[in-house]
Amino acid sequence: MFRLQGSKVLAVDMTGDAVKAKNGSMVAYDGQMAFKKLTGGGEGIRGMVTRRLTGEQMTVMEVKGHGTCWFADRASEINLVNLQGDKLYVESSNLLATDAGLRTGTSFTGLRGASQGNGLFTTTVEGHGQAAIMSDGPAVVLRVSAQYPLTVDPGAYVAHQGNLRQSFQSGVTFRTFLGEGGGEAFQIRFEGDGLVYVQPSERNTIAGDL
Amino acid sequence: MTTYPGAGPVVHDPMTLPADDNVDKYTFCVELKGSQWFLQKGKMIAYYGSIEFNGIGNGRLDRLVRTSFHSPLHASDWVVADGSGKMLLADRAFDVNSYDLDDGNLTIRSGNLLAFQPSLALKQSIIPGFLTLIGTGKFVAASNGPVVFMEPPIRVDPQALVGWADCPSPCHHYDHGYLTGVWGGLRAMTGLGGASGEEHQFEFVGAGTVLLQSSETLMAEQATGAVPHEPGVPGGGGVPGHQGQPGTPRLPGQLGDLQRRFGL
Repeated sequence: MFRLQGSKVLAVDMTGDAVKAKNGSMVAYDGQMAFKKLTGGGEGIRGMVTRRLTGEQMTVMEVKGHGTCWFADRASEINLVNLQGDKLYVESSNLLATDAGLRTGTSFTGLRGASQGNGLFTTTVEGHGQAAIMSDGPAVVLRVSAQYPLTVDPGAYVAHQGNLRQSFQSGVTFRTFLGEGGGEAFQIRFEGDGLVYVQPSERNTIAGDL
Repeated sequence: MTTYPGAGPVVHDPMTLPADDNVDKYTFCVELKGSQWFLQKGKMIAYYGSIEFNGIGNGRLDRLVRTSFHSPLHASDWVVADGSGKMLLADRAFDVNSYDLDDGNLTIRSGNLLAFQPSLALKQSIIPGFLTLIGTGKFVAASNGPVVFMEPPIRVDPQALVGWADCPSPCHHYDHGYLTGVWGGLRAMTGLGGASGEEHQFEFVGAGTVLLQSSETLMAEQATGAVPHEPGVPGGGGVPGHQGQPGTPRLPGQLGDLQRRFGL
């Protein structure tokens, strides 16, 4: 059972079940806990090879026991996500913890990943249960529906879930090269039905100043 | 406020997002209805609807720029958002707030200003590193921690100062006892014998309001361009070998510095 204590600490109450969490993110626990490094994020040999090939590295530990365990990482804001059979796409560096029952994997993101400087692949979380994702500043959750497509700055994008199509928009014109660009040269457009998480802060991206 | 089945936090869509108001402490939502806003490059994090972002140099915007943007040297840091929809602004997870000016004036540290309505005119303050907004309209500014409003006469820490409104007169103030004499000099230089770190302050007298942030972390200074090199312009010349940015190539007729414009 995930709950937030403040906005930067995740408390997980466990009764013999397990969670997967980012390696080294435990800050405190009471009760009986066992911490086990999961080689390859618990995705088996195939997952290990994929992660090595795609560069979407994720070091994960499995925490199991009775009691409460608290997780935090560099005072990042933590957001809880409930998954009911849908799929969450998140950068591995923004993923703090998931229920052990959720499947994690990798997927190809294409140009969006490249424009964020995160590589071409992203992590997916799938199944029924809870996950905790991190952001710089509390994330704003925006709904995308058929009549309301959404456009997001790659530097502020954190995660998305649901049935969304994303397309990459480039506003690079001859003006950009004259130094008169609009400042938002690369954008990701989401269409379909789902939720997008954006953070109130921009990572440094190659497009940041164009 | 609606909730997505299963989602814990508040989910926003274009109907529930506020118009020209804060979404939370760190995010501000601007509603465009065929209107325009000036904003600093790269502060838009997401938008609904169809919005176009154009550099200030875009010919189509010439008239707008002529009426409300009097700082050609900032041109490469600002863009105009044009269209209709709702747009979210944020800056490095700092606190964001909007302020209304009613036929007034306000001077603000250049790095803190995120966006403003074109009904306001932006000018470069004669105090280096500050911008002045004049007119009627709304603007959005960021601060590290909430902003506190104070009345002059007041002395403030230089790092905590965000800006001031309605013309109080700003000047430097040095704590004399700590800076003069042999012991004072030693203290100031070495910190031995108790330098408080507060020997230098800004002093405001006159009528108006002073805006302070509740931390001494400075926001990254937004380059404000150079002032004209003329005698009598503060920082503008007269001191040889101390000019704006030496060694940066600038083509004739160009607005800002080449490096900054290419994001290098």
